[in-house]
Amino acid sequence: MIIEIAAQGGFGGITAGRLHKTIDLAHQPEQMRQDLAEAFEPEELARLASQPCGDCADRMTYRITVTEDRDSCSFTLQEQQIPPDMLDLIDQM
Amino acid sequence: MCFSLNGSHRHSIHCIVPPYMLRVLALRGDPRTAEMARSLLKQTEKLRDDRAELTRAGLPPDKPLSGAFASTAVFPAEGLCCPDRRIHDGQFRAALPGKLVRSEGDGPTGIADADTAYDAAGQVFSLFAEEYGRNSLDGEGMPLVATVHHRRDYNNAFWNGTQMAYGTGDGKVFRTFLELSVIGHEMAHGVIQHSGGLIYENQSGALNESIADVFGSLSLQRALGQEVHQADWLVGRGILGPGINGAALRSMKAPGTAYSDNMLGQDPQPWHMDHFVTTTDDNGGVHINSGIPNHAFYLFCAYLGGRAWELPGRIWYRALQTLNNPMASFSDWADQTMDSAIELAGRGSIETVMLRRAWKLVGIAI
Repeated sequence: MIIEIAAQGGFGGITAGRLHKTIDLAHQPEQMRQDLAEAFEPEELARLASQPCGDCADRMTYRITVTEDRDSCSFTLQEQQIPPDMLDLIDQM
Repeated sequence: MCFSLNGSHRHSIHCIVPPYMLRVLALRGDPRTAEMARSLLKQTEKLRDDRAELTRAGLPPDKPLSGAFASTAVFPAEGLCCPDRRIHDGQFRAALPGKLVRSEGDGPTGIADADTAYDAAGQVFSLFAEEYGRNSLDGEGMPLVATVHHRRDYNNAFWNGTQMAYGTGDGKVFRTFLELSVIGHEMAHGVIQHSGGLIYENQSGALNESIADVFGSLSLQRALGQEVHQADWLVGRGILGPGINGAALRSMKAPGTAYSDNMLGQDPQPWHMDHFVTTTDDNGGVHINSGIPNHAFYLFCAYLGGRAWELPGRIWYRALQTLNNPMASFSDWADQTMDSAIELAGRGSIETVMLRRAWKLVGIAI
């Protein structure tokens, strides 16, 4: 499973300040691999993306693409739709 | 085509509520109503067949409705006294608010970011209280909750609807967000939310950003005792990383000149409607096109001279309280500032002439 995360927006609105991370779970330690696989399960991402989100100022927008067995799924999530634990995982990646 | 909250069947009441009204309910409704409106909006977004209806909707009323939010803020609040600051340490994690490290009246913590957040929140509270008679962000004395050290290497600061949060920056693009104009900007988002709100996309979103910049800058100017021509009119001075060629994040005096860097490129803010940027990024360019109303405010202040947080700030603040149009365009906002200028300075006054000139110079006729 390969997870690709791109983020834009925020207080700065600076294009070059955008976050971009790609991680191949095959190269991660066992615990991290489990945590990431669970958190970035496409069904879970789809559920999060369907959650209502408010008009909070200066928040970031995340584009998350999960590729597994040559199939890719992409989701757009507002920062406020993502649980804190998952944001912590993104920061650790 | 509309569905009930669980999406299983039609709901006649929900069906007659147009999307623009749902946006307002999501912004202004009580928690239950706002949740309902957001759910319906989310479903509406998925109904591609309704796209034409969505694009036709959202037209603001011809005339602003009566100032439902004016009563709480145009006149000084009763019992206005002191801030109730609560600063938390996020300990580099995402959960909010984190560990409480400094409450109102406590001495310094020794945590630099926490102490800066505490002091700056007091200065912003003081601007709104002493100059505009507003009791905290909601006009009713709400606690000023902030979290520093939010997430790891986090290149952002934000208002989440109930509190402020500040990252440390990654040390490359940003070195900090604990700077008074930034803190004033985030707190002003709270004031805007509790003043009827401005929907965070396209022109109304850029106005939301601009008004936040205005009061962020005024917080800094007042704290430094600077008159119009002494101020640098920068937002986020010194927050860019050490290797970045730039003075700040935005310039109200000269939008588009705050930075010019190999990595960041050129500051994209326009100062005139001729250069308005149409984009789907950044909620429709809310941090880009805010340069236009930002520059109009700067020009108005420069024409008048003196202290920008006094009459110009009062006009902008009064306009915010009486706007009552969450989908306001730049032109709507310019008209509202003129109404406020007439109320505060008099019809035909030099101030109203200068205000009209400022808006005209950025390409907005009133």
